[in-house]
Amino acid sequence: MSRSLTVQSILYGNEPQAIVRAAEATANSARLARADDLIGEWTLAIGDCSPTPVFDAESAAEIETLVTEAGGVFSYTVFGENLGHGGGHNRLAPLTSSDLILILNPDAQVGPDTIGRLADTVRGDVALADGRQLPLEHPKDYDPVTGDESWASGACSMTVRSVFEEVGGFDHETFFMYCDDVDYSWRVRLAGHRVVFAPSARVFHDKRLTTDADIIPTSAEIYYSAEAAVFLAYKYSRQDLVNKILTAFRNEPDDVYRRVVAAYDERVASGTLPQPLDSLGKVAQFINGNYAEHRY
Amino acid sequence: MEPTIDANAADTATPPSGLTLLDSFLQRDGVSDAVSDALRTIREAIVDDALGDRPFLTVLLRTQGRRLEPIKDALLCLAAQTDQDFEVVIIDHDSTESGAQGVRRVVESQPASFRTRIRIVEVVGGTRSTPLNAGIKVAAGRYIAVFDDDDLLFADWVERFHEASDTAGTRLLRAQTATQNARPEVWTGGFEGQRSLSWPHSAYAPTFDQIQHLRVNHSPFMSWAFPRGLFSQLGLTFDEALDVCEDWDMILRASLLVGVEDLPALTSIYRRWEGAATSYTVHSTDIWRASEKRVIDRLDDSAIILPQGSVSEIRELLAVYEHKDDDRDAMAQYRLMLTSRSWRWSIPLRILRNRFVRVRGTILHNWNRLHASRSGNRDGTVQNR
Repeated sequence: MSRSLTVQSILYGNEPQAIVRAAEATANSARLARADDLIGEWTLAIGDCSPTPVFDAESAAEIETLVTEAGGVFSYTVFGENLGHGGGHNRLAPLTSSDLILILNPDAQVGPDTIGRLADTVRGDVALADGRQLPLEHPKDYDPVTGDESWASGACSMTVRSVFEEVGGFDHETFFMYCDDVDYSWRVRLAGHRVVFAPSARVFHDKRLTTDADIIPTSAEIYYSAEAAVFLAYKYSRQDLVNKILTAFRNEPDDVYRRVVAAYDERVASGTLPQPLDSLGKVAQFINGNYAEHRY
Repeated sequence: MEPTIDANAADTATPPSGLTLLDSFLQRDGVSDAVSDALRTIREAIVDDALGDRPFLTVLLRTQGRRLEPIKDALLCLAAQTDQDFEVVIIDHDSTESGAQGVRRVVESQPASFRTRIRIVEVVGGTRSTPLNAGIKVAAGRYIAVFDDDDLLFADWVERFHEASDTAGTRLLRAQTATQNARPEVWTGGFEGQRSLSWPHSAYAPTFDQIQHLRVNHSPFMSWAFPRGLFSQLGLTFDEALDVCEDWDMILRASLLVGVEDLPALTSIYRRWEGAATSYTVHSTDIWRASEKRVIDRLDDSAIILPQGSVSEIRELLAVYEHKDDDRDAMAQYRLMLTSRSWRWSIPLRILRNRFVRVRGTILHNWNRLHASRSGNRDGTVQNR
């Protein structure tokens, strides 16, 4: 019997029609995966962390029709508070009981065979697999034969529910916006499972470049990625790196980095830093500010 | 071998009912070019009147059906556009039967709201221009863009063109394109995919420079959106005598006719392949040179109008050239100028051009008619309508 699947997405102030279009792509991909017997029953579970719900009755009904026609079930949960990426997914996961969970960014659109390819990849000792992002492919390296990689991106990754529960889901108390996927991947690997890249499972992730081919992050993105860098180094027993990063941040003129230092100090004072893991450095990789070897 | 075109192979679009009779005439053998052109003009007028809601853009997507993973990437890039006011014409050129079946399967797998806006035109024979001309014949969009199956688009590719079209008049639309190195790779599961090797690089000039483009093409094909009137009214066609450089040829002829509107946005990625067959590796240096010569010869046969500022630019280039023996760094200066200075110049010049756009439009209107007529007399491909 084919394994059941829940596709989970967390909204925060998204444009409804973009989500409808993404939902159509998801429903189409699930329909094809069902036809190939790669998944069985499936659910699209959307959690909404926005101050005001993204969907009105009409757009919710539109998605429900798309999902139902593809043989699935649609659920829409309004949280009424911003739980963050990992917190939202942790809250959604117990609402269903599928064998597989697909973590999918709301601004990501899957290709027709994406769900099937991921489901076909997550077998045996592979507990987590991510798709290849377009148009900007993530530069983290992978084994071209086996697909093994350091971590799987939370933009579009499929995991086995039993493993998700075994490792306790996302650490949303430590990581609000970034690196919860890196941390989840490393804990999956510490538990003895494999994390692999499935390049044939494509997903369009709406990222843009400046005319100089650069990415200009928002101030929130700068803050939360900087904060995550400190907490990830701490959690994976790299106090040497924590000290190095904090020293660098203290010397930065930009206030955003000093706020990160303050947040770390506050965690130390309140005793709320995470329990350090991987003291032998079996899975964690800190390479030139990245969490994997990068191809470029 | 004469090229053959099967536009009905997997045509999922339904023509307006009132056009059925006209289309049946257009598809008959033995209809003269003159009659065919006249009928096509009438058809377009009817379509304009009857629909009034042509899609903004027709995307001509060339493929040869050899590797299906890249075309899946290409279609996903289109399916995810923020502006969905477009149709897709996949021109399957010289595919094997299994390749053509593969392309059809890929199209059939797309979500319904996207699939219904995709048509497949299967073309056998001819050069790289042949599928483009076949696509233009069936294109309904107010603008036409070309997107090859191994490149990538950002989500605002259509949206940016659409926004710019509101103020661009009849000018070509030109956005910016990044380059990215990639090589073929067989993925787990035996899928013939690719591996990206570099971060996208902004390699092309942010603004169009006509003089530079006379030397070499600085604008990949998917940088452009061409107003349909270039083809339907002025009768431009891609030169099927060219083995390569068909994009450069059209860019030059079209930009010299109607001018260019630059978009300050990077909206696509041109993949540079390592270890894969591309037009650069398949065709010999001699073919490239011959095609380049044909492009330039054709322009040399015509009177052309250059954009404002070109006289000063040419004078400066000549000044550098004249002193090349006096200064061993002259060629370095020349190259520097080609790659940077004229772009900087073009900013104030573009402001001037906008001021004079109305005057230019009037001049161009009259001159275009003359040019089209002359070209039509020479090679029969451009008609004065």
